[in-house]
Amino acid sequence: MDLHGGAGGWIGASLLRKEDKRHLLGASTFVADLRMPGMQDVAFVRSPVAHGRLLGIEKPAGFEHKVFGLADLGEIKFIDAGPEMASFRTVPYPPLAGDRVRFVGQTVAACIASSRAEAEDLAGNVIVLTEDLPPIIDAIEAIKPGMTTLFDGWPDNAFVHATIAEGDIASVAGAPIQMRRQFKMNRQAVVPLETRGVVAYWDHRLDELVVYTSTQGPHVMRIGLAQSLGLPENKLRVVAPDVGGGFGGKNRLMPEEIAIAAIALKVGYPVRWIEDRREHLIASVHAREHLYDITLFAEKSGRVLGLKGELFVDAGAYALWPSGPFMESSMAARNLTGPYRVEHLHVETHTVATNKAPLGPYRGVARPGACFAIERAIDELAHEMGMDPVELRRINLVRESDMPYRTIGGLTLDNGNYPAALEAVVGMVDLPAIRARQQRGEPDGRRIGVGFAVYTEQSGHGTIEWAKRKSRVVPGYESATVRMSSDGSVHVMVGILNHGQGLETSLSQVAAHELGLDPAMISIRYGDTSVTPFGFGTFASRSIVFSGGAVARASSLLADKIRTIGAHLLQAPVDEVSIRDGVVRAGAASVPIAEIARVANIRPEMLPQGVAPGLETTSTYEPPDSGGVFSYGVHAAVVAVDPETGVVEILKYAVAEDCGTMINPMIVDGQIIGGIAQGIGTALFEESPYDPSGQPLATTFGDYMVPCAPEIPRLDIKHFVTPARNTQHGVKGMGEGGAIAPPATIANALTDAFRDIGAKFCETPMIPRRVSDAVARARGELT
Amino acid sequence: MKSSAFEYSRPGTVAEAVGLLAGSDGNAMPICGGQSLLILMGLRFAITGLLVDISRLEDLRRVDQRDGHVFIGAATTHAAIEDGKVPDPSLGLMSRVASKIAYRAVRNLGTIGGSVALADPSADWPACLMALGAQAVIAGPDGTRREEVETLIQGPYQTSLMPGEIIVGFEIAQHKSARWGVSKVSRKSGAFADSIAVFIDTTSDGPARLALTGTTSHARILPRVGQYAESSRVLNPDELRATVREDLAEIDPAADAYQLRCHVATVSRAIAEARAT
Amino acid sequence: MTAIKLEVNGETVSHEVNPRESLADFLRERRNLTGTHLGCEHGACGACTVTMDGVVVRSCIVLAVMADGRKIETIEGTRAIELMNVIRRHFHEKHALQCGFCTPGMLMMARDIIARYPAPSESTIRAQLSGQICRCTGYMGIVDAIKSAAREIAETRLLPNNAAA
Repeated sequence: MDLHGGAGGWIGASLLRKEDKRHLLGASTFVADLRMPGMQDVAFVRSPVAHGRLLGIEKPAGFEHKVFGLADLGEIKFIDAGPEMASFRTVPYPPLAGDRVRFVGQTVAACIASSRAEAEDLAGNVIVLTEDLPPIIDAIEAIKPGMTTLFDGWPDNAFVHATIAEGDIASVAGAPIQMRRQFKMNRQAVVPLETRGVVAYWDHRLDELVVYTSTQGPHVMRIGLAQSLGLPENKLRVVAPDVGGGFGGKNRLMPEEIAIAAIALKVGYPVRWIEDRREHLIASVHAREHLYDITLFAEKSGRVLGLKGELFVDAGAYALWPSGPFMESSMAARNLTGPYRVEHLHVETHTVATNKAPLGPYRGVARPGACFAIERAIDELAHEMGMDPVELRRINLVRESDMPYRTIGGLTLDNGNYPAALEAVVGMVDLPAIRARQQRGEPDGRRIGVGFAVYTEQSGHGTIEWAKRKSRVVPGYESATVRMSSDGSVHVMVGILNHGQGLETSLSQVAAHELGLDPAMISIRYGDTSVTPFGFGTFASRSIVFSGGAVARASSLLADKIRTIGAHLLQAPVDEVSIRDGVVRAGAASVPIAEIARVANIRPEMLPQGVAPGLETTSTYEPPDSGGVFSYGVHAAVVAVDPETGVVEILKYAVAEDCGTMINPMIVDGQIIGGIAQGIGTALFEESPYDPSGQPLATTFGDYMVPCAPEIPRLDIKHFVTPARNTQHGVKGMGEGGAIAPPATIANALTDAFRDIGAKFCETPMIPRRVSDAVARARGELT
Repeated sequence: MKSSAFEYSRPGTVAEAVGLLAGSDGNAMPICGGQSLLILMGLRFAITGLLVDISRLEDLRRVDQRDGHVFIGAATTHAAIEDGKVPDPSLGLMSRVASKIAYRAVRNLGTIGGSVALADPSADWPACLMALGAQAVIAGPDGTRREEVETLIQGPYQTSLMPGEIIVGFEIAQHKSARWGVSKVSRKSGAFADSIAVFIDTTSDGPARLALTGTTSHARILPRVGQYAESSRVLNPDELRATVREDLAEIDPAADAYQLRCHVATVSRAIAEARAT
Repeated sequence: MTAIKLEVNGETVSHEVNPRESLADFLRERRNLTGTHLGCEHGACGACTVTMDGVVVRSCIVLAVMADGRKIETIEGTRAIELMNVIRRHFHEKHALQCGFCTPGMLMMARDIIARYPAPSESTIRAQLSGQICRCTGYMGIVDAIKSAAREIAETRLLPNNAAA
């Protein structure tokens, strides 16, 4: 492992992480670890029914002042969530239910007590009076005429219908090969190991409300909270302490955050709510529920000409601020042709409101579903045509010579060699050996299968792309402030939110590269709206591109100033001095950066003419091409399947990927492996089903299966490096790619294992029951 | 997910414990390892006025061997059995079953008595003890009694234990031949099982017995499967499948096609393992 | 309220506790030992793992009253233990943590695994990490760290004197 980067300096060094120390000692500070004198605990009363008129709540006698309903929170503005599109129907989402409850688990009241246990006792004695309404839990049924609507005045239960039509799908209506399939990716939860949590109190000294919350975007959440509470932003401080995983599920403003903040304004003491696991599985962001019905139109050669289809996104009962659920449908449709040179696209999308928890972003956002659909469809088409699925991909994949390639969905794949990644991963699993093993059969009766899937991961996209999505908050830049103190040590304040991605380390490498310092001299600060310049947070695989770029820019400007001062102190021309290894050097002479820092901070009389004192710079950054850059890769899985019990074992999992320049390869690998583990969870284990009355069925880890070490195999990873053309150092974001391809990869492997009987694997998760039933069905055994 | 409030008592003898449990008008529960009970209490599915801690009672921690039997106290942990720290009358079967229960940290506290007394339909011990023909020794207000585990467990979370009765331990005949097999199917490692089959083949210890966990109700002996295994040295897969289905049609008619497939698989594999030695 | 007396990280402490308080909440709220984390409160994730009388337990499903008279060791209490610091170093070098929330529980389990399996294979390590949830790392770094730590511990003979006790 290269700890010091060699010729590349700090760029490309697998520097061990600075943030490890506190976690290894058990000295982290997550929101549940905060202690404030007089703090009281909150437990929420949540709707027991999926759909109903809320007639009222009955508070236990003597505890009325400790139970808050919506009316007790004071004036709350319900802010519009979702894209700024006339066709998108916005609805209020009150932090505590108003006159309706629309999903089991929706917050109805908040109970305060001196311990969480007592708050739960109190909540258990609050009576929620509802008048049941028909529960809407099927997205396809939900938009049929005559169905009860969740919201008065809506013509149907869709937040929005939108059709993406590009090229001319009618022109391929006569294509010789046409194949139609349906695919379903079921609803699941996000499950960071740390649940959500909020601590809020009024700081009298600073005359502001302080809200600690486990969030991925404190600055953005401050905007939403301020608007909701009617507070000016300079009276509201939002702090994310250590955050124990987010994955998208902590990147929306949630009703509990608003409710706790509002309560803190009303009472005279700090209030705390720590989500428990049951609340998380029921009422935190849900993800992924997509239904696809797609038809591929192809030539006899296997070249896919067009894709037509319909997509339903089961978006749950409300839109979460700021973005709402529309990105699920628009991103899924636009990514539906994958990395293939398909020239005609027509997808009708329906983003449907149902009586379930609101849908939100989860690693990959929409693309795991889209990848599942297209990659499974490619394999199905290959089987129909008697072709090898790898060969069909070769025929259709975008090639190096096509780059940059604007897909029919409107995504410009910037560069890379996708076929090379495919060939590499085929080699990594030793395809001929797998085929031979399949021929031989397994002594224990299991079936062997191998499957592939290609993914693209848009990252580092800015103004152009977010504006295209009609976002009401456009994450079109990041900020960084770099400040050097009088001893030469450095603070870098950034607007992203490190929550496991190692950005304290990788960003210090970026800064160290510009400043000629050791990363150990550089402290990264994030997460506190009082400390850091404005930024949008960490999501959409944007941090290394945007924040890395901002840090590089600000550090570079600061380095210029340091060199200018150094040149003056050395009495040398500025263009003859260099900055490296802690000194500014001109020929044989040098002056330590620390000395320059002392001069700039506390000895201004020694500064050159026209140079202002201090060493602090704030910069913003967006890549020149804000349509985004694309990481990509190919996954391969070899599975062994028990045809009777449906139990799947992953024997081998390989990935060949390209994310451009890797600032810290160790961290990149960690993101790939972690993403794949979550993708395997989606593929084989995780599901949040509802019964016909709208009751959620997976409410603890007894029902909701999160894969552990025995379930996740060792991974083989091969890197290609095609640097991005226009980003700092040629970096591309890559944190989500690992989670995008596994469901398709594994489903293709299962299909391959049972190709002889034609068992269909078109729905995730492929739990043992579904696999066993699919095999039995194909054998004609299912009664 | 905090439990509702209760009182706590740690009596020093079995008689005191029985007295507390019998005298609380159904509003008291025993706790031993707590690895299942505390989860139910945290979810507020189990609510009690008094928890009676029996985990440190000497009579429940006793293990001894005599007269061709092993007595294993109810408070013996899964880990102690897994690690071979207590005499194993089953020649390794119990150690193997123990090692597959939940997770090591849970096995360090969870007890064999608690597993049977709670009678979760997916618990690991009931089928194993049934296959071994184990007897539970039960202390209650009316004195001590014995009952076969096979009849003690009557349904999901239902046993023949009356208010005030606690399992003191299990008497298991010292088996002399290690012709056993176990097969378990679960959705992930350590999770509650969809199916567990425990098979003990015909030996001088007795006829073949097969016990199955994963019915919609509780662990059961499959009598026809046992007889079929007894009478056939070489098993015909189709006949075995039909026999399993016959037994299940009687004891678990609600079992669906997938569950039946799992049970056929675990039964076949448990028998195959026993006969491979 | 019930009076309990127990040893926590080598210190004997006495408290009045509510019978329904978990050991995890007792440690976190009364002793301010927040390194023990709550990920599920139903014994299914392992984030709350501590040792009680030398064996690993999930403190969210242990009652504080049932820890009366016991010796409890939390992650904070291992900061000066050489064997644990060897394991920490391997976690650091093998990138066995990302957000850090599962890490204290993983470290406590790592030591327990190595104590029971001084030369653990990859499949043994994975099997012993059953039910110990990490959502960030995909487990490879953790497995590699435990394997290499076990090797160093065996070579430098840090066990059995430093076994969990």
